[in-house]
Amino acid sequence: MNFIFFHITAASYLIATVIYIVYLFSHNDKVVKTANKILILSFLFHSITIISRGIEAGHFPFTNLHESLSIFSWMIVGVYLLVNARYHIAALGSFVSPLALLFLITASLLPKEIVPLVPQLESYWLYIHVPLAILGNAFFALSFLFGIMYLIQEHYLKSKKVGGLYFLLPSLDVLDELGYKFLTYGFPLLTIAMITGAIWSEYVWGSYWSWQPRQIWSLITWFLYAALLHGRLTVGWRGRKAAIYAIIGFMVLLGSFLIINLLSLGEHGFLR
Amino acid sequence: MEKIEKQEVKILQTIGDKIWAFFNSLKLTLTVLLSLAVVSIIGTVVEQGKPLEFYAKTYGERISSYVLTLGFHDMYHAWWFFTLLVFLAANIIVCTIDRFPQKWKASLEKRVDVAPQFIKNLGNSASFTVNTINGGDVFSVKNRVIEILKKKRYKIKNTDVSDGAAVFAWKGTAGRFGSDIVHVSLITILTGAIIGSFFGFKDYISINENETVNAPKSNFQVRLDKFWLDYYESGEIKQYNSQLTVVENGKDVLSKKIWVNEPLKYKGVWFYQSNYGMAYDRIKEARLVLKDKKKNQIIGEPFVVKWLEPFKIPGTNLAVNLAGFVSDFGFDEKTKQIYPRSPEHNNPAIQVIVYDNEKPISGPWLFLNYPEIFATIPNTNYDLIFMGYQGLQYTGLSMTKDPGTNIVWIGSIIMALGFILAFFIFNKKVWGRIQKAENGVDIYIGGMINKNKIMFEREFSEITACLKTEVTQK
Repeated sequence: MNFIFFHITAASYLIATVIYIVYLFSHNDKVVKTANKILILSFLFHSITIISRGIEAGHFPFTNLHESLSIFSWMIVGVYLLVNARYHIAALGSFVSPLALLFLITASLLPKEIVPLVPQLESYWLYIHVPLAILGNAFFALSFLFGIMYLIQEHYLKSKKVGGLYFLLPSLDVLDELGYKFLTYGFPLLTIAMITGAIWSEYVWGSYWSWQPRQIWSLITWFLYAALLHGRLTVGWRGRKAAIYAIIGFMVLLGSFLIINLLSLGEHGFLR
Repeated sequence: MEKIEKQEVKILQTIGDKIWAFFNSLKLTLTVLLSLAVVSIIGTVVEQGKPLEFYAKTYGERISSYVLTLGFHDMYHAWWFFTLLVFLAANIIVCTIDRFPQKWKASLEKRVDVAPQFIKNLGNSASFTVNTINGGDVFSVKNRVIEILKKKRYKIKNTDVSDGAAVFAWKGTAGRFGSDIVHVSLITILTGAIIGSFFGFKDYISINENETVNAPKSNFQVRLDKFWLDYYESGEIKQYNSQLTVVENGKDVLSKKIWVNEPLKYKGVWFYQSNYGMAYDRIKEARLVLKDKKKNQIIGEPFVVKWLEPFKIPGTNLAVNLAGFVSDFGFDEKTKQIYPRSPEHNNPAIQVIVYDNEKPISGPWLFLNYPEIFATIPNTNYDLIFMGYQGLQYTGLSMTKDPGTNIVWIGSIIMALGFILAFFIFNKKVWGRIQKAENGVDIYIGGMINKNKIMFEREFSEITACLKTEVTQK
């Protein structure tokens, strides 16, 4: 049953993405409003997909890469919808929707079987740690998108050819500030995810930290974003430098997320 | 003499200053953080903590010698990784100590009376004039400014100056100290980790069912009352469970069912479900039956013999005692020793001691898979057949004691608090100045925030809009 919803969701994201791209060329506000409505609809379908899968599995569905990627994109869209209600950055949807679609397409290519929870995962921390971690990732994803938008906008300004996306994107200052703002949500969430992961690990292995690849990579990401935050706050890494850094940071995050979750599909399950 | 001493002190001071300046640098912070990020990758590429031969096999002799000298095989305990952490800690401590007093002083300072030019130069500022006809006298305008700022939950100080009044409003001062609190928490966590690595230990014990074992490095025992598995309907294992009892001075003091994710804790020592299995050298009980060799017929019902509990076979003068077990029977021709080939139950065999009127007459090994290959009771008409057995479950527990853990958790809580202050509480300051003008009053208002400028722009424009409409309407 959840597969039917999954396909409906993916199709719906595809439609939203197409309309968002049309908007980039037409600059018509009605178009973007339609696209937003369809994205909200996609989000609802996506929620139903996740809930129905959860019911079929008998537990929250984030125990393999297919499920985590699906939830990852669901959270990115969810955060976007909240942001959009507040900041009204029309062009942001044109970046979020393709990203969500890309994640879902990747998820659809991965093994989709529902597997029962391995003993190590039978814990309430599963329901606290994993959503926090993925939510943090979603904020980093948006920070990454703002970084890309910054570079695009800067490109227009530098080449002095205003046109195309120029009028749809917010000013460089706003993009920079928003990129930072999303880091300030992502970073504490990443930290809290690491702490809750440590507590969980303490209960399962008797050690809050054991230098497992998943822990090491989260620490690497943490070091990178900590450096970015300090660079921004104190040495003045703003604008272009910060944007490029946010993009690199997210690439590292996404790469380790994919690789670790693919590797840990084996006997150890989705742990840490 | 005195001169030399003074010089020495001076030299020491300059060295101290230089070290302080070295660690009091944000460039160092960035360098260390990025270095830590990069070198940590090594630990995910080179497998950690394997036996030395592994590295020679994987990387070849030459490269593996580099790997081992540089400590890449155990990099999180390597001196250079430790040095980076020490640098990070020193960097955090020095930067925090260096900046804190100034910040603290600045947060206490409340300059109310500032020049209009100061207000105009602030990140956000506005100025406008209210006519006397519209109620533009200094006192009432000041009160309205205060009212509006109070509604926005600012704390306020005001004073009357020669040609008007000055107002200073502030909130979220604590937000300025968020980063300091996060730094304190990081040092706390590092301290906890160091304490754990010096005073903690890890160990492993396995306990058979109904057996009591001394807990290593502790003054109590642990008994396994029962071990069992839970299954999903599909047949996959859902959970491993052990019912454990802590025994101290011969008394049961604590009983608890543990499973993966639910350890037992006693006197700072944690016991975790780690693995399980069947004992290879003993069993719970065996099922045997007696046979009449001549008639080739089973006599009576099969009977159950418990481990090391002599059993009298009904209707005969015979008794048996179950005294030995191997899970995978092996016989060493040279030493004439019986040994288990593996812990797997591939070829289970038991040894029973047979008594005739309480006199031992034989001690044969019986095979489950190969019954009746040897005569079991010589000089009688009887034969014993090994029909089945119930193995003895053991549970594998990992044991840890880490007195630094609680410090790490305290550090984590402090860190969460620090993040809330650092990222979600903003220090906002607003200055207002009301000055008498020719036919009314001039209002100057301006403000600043330590971060999140967009948010403050919104709030500031709300304040000025409010002020404009209110003072001009009244």
